[in-house]
Amino acid sequence: MIPLRHPQIEAAARKALPKVGIELTDIEGFTCCPEPWNVKGTSLEDWLAIAMRNLAVGEKSGRDMIVLCNGCYATLTEAAHIASNGGEAKAAAEKKLSSLKLSYKGKNKARHVASVLSDMGTEKIAASVKKPLRGLKVAVHHGCHLLRPSGIMGFDDPFEPSKLEALVEALGAEVVRYAGYTDCCGRATHDPEATLKMASDKIESMKAAGANCIVTVCPACFEQFDLGQVEIKRKLGKDHKLPGFHYLQLLALAQGEDASALGFDRHRVDVKPALSKIKGQ
Amino acid sequence: MPKVTPDFSDSLSKVEGAGELGYCFQCSACVAECPAALYCEGFNPREIVLASLLGVADYLTDKDSVIWQCTTCYKCYERCPQGTHPVEVVTALKNVAFEKGNAPADIVSVRETVKENGTIIVASDAVEKRRGDLDLPRAPVAPTADIKKLLE
Repeated sequence: MIPLRHPQIEAAARKALPKVGIELTDIEGFTCCPEPWNVKGTSLEDWLAIAMRNLAVGEKSGRDMIVLCNGCYATLTEAAHIASNGGEAKAAAEKKLSSLKLSYKGKNKARHVASVLSDMGTEKIAASVKKPLRGLKVAVHHGCHLLRPSGIMGFDDPFEPSKLEALVEALGAEVVRYAGYTDCCGRATHDPEATLKMASDKIESMKAAGANCIVTVCPACFEQFDLGQVEIKRKLGKDHKLPGFHYLQLLALAQGEDASALGFDRHRVDVKPALSKIKGQ
Repeated sequence: MPKVTPDFSDSLSKVEGAGELGYCFQCSACVAECPAALYCEGFNPREIVLASLLGVADYLTDKDSVIWQCTTCYKCYERCPQGTHPVEVVTALKNVAFEKGNAPADIVSVRETVKENGTIIVASDAVEKRRGDLDLPRAPVAPTADIKKLLE
């Protein structure tokens, strides 16, 4: 989804991550992870087979995989968990994989960029910052699949997380904690009205806490809030005007990257009012 | 009288985590923070688990079932004191509905897109132009033959 619909997130990653010492290598042969609610909803076995194929391709490279998306993280982490625990579905997926002469032995895993950065320590992130985002008030939206099921995802507390907030503070921005901050963005429900109401209510809570913008670490949550606000305005009559960012865009910006190189012009909610809050910009 | 399928819950156990619904004691911890229960008419994870357990869940795998309203937020998974994993029971029910040909058309179409292209979004000249404007290389090409073979 990122390379083909939100390439600005990929661009931000390629600019920002080397500056904190993460070397990125492109591996050929990956497919969609696949996404964890529609494909898994049609067939767990097929979802698992595609996911284990991607893990097997990653494993051959001898490196862990880094993902910039909660959906990719959920699929690949849960699939690795199922692959290590056995079960009927695993056996079926392995059989399908063997037709491609591939197997996954559980020697690598997918790591979410938020988890990698958090493990490196906020001091290291802060040390790469050249233009701190002072004055910007940020509402952090973790996204469900980064946090839950916590026993498998293992990133942070499933109901009172703080690691992503610490990463935002390392950029010099101020985090505003708002009511319902671990709630779902509503993206994956099939109810067309509920999906907009869930997002709209969450945005209202962010604004009530004084946020100037939303930070996510998932392209689906980002799209739900960004494109979603166009739909919310049209169908619910509420014009929130609260811009959204992927964390990596703000990291790149704080590292001194020019705003014009980060694809903000393709966001549906104008980011300029938020950027104007940053002191010294 | 609804049709009763006594061993229905066994058929859900193919989905990891969905086979423990027998431990459910109907406490409603899953309902309290469920966004779909809050926002969508007729969605109740406790009732979905109960109907599956009693083998009267046919209506949940028919067309236009409420199961597709689940946001997969996994709050029920965390809150359940019995390890029942209602969200995975819902996944298993969705799999049954798909097999019966009763999954919503747009969800089936997401699956077909992945099957045909290896990606969930289809590459296009417009996408390549955006990538070029951001100094990114052309989008990687997914090995579609592999995916078709896996989903045969």
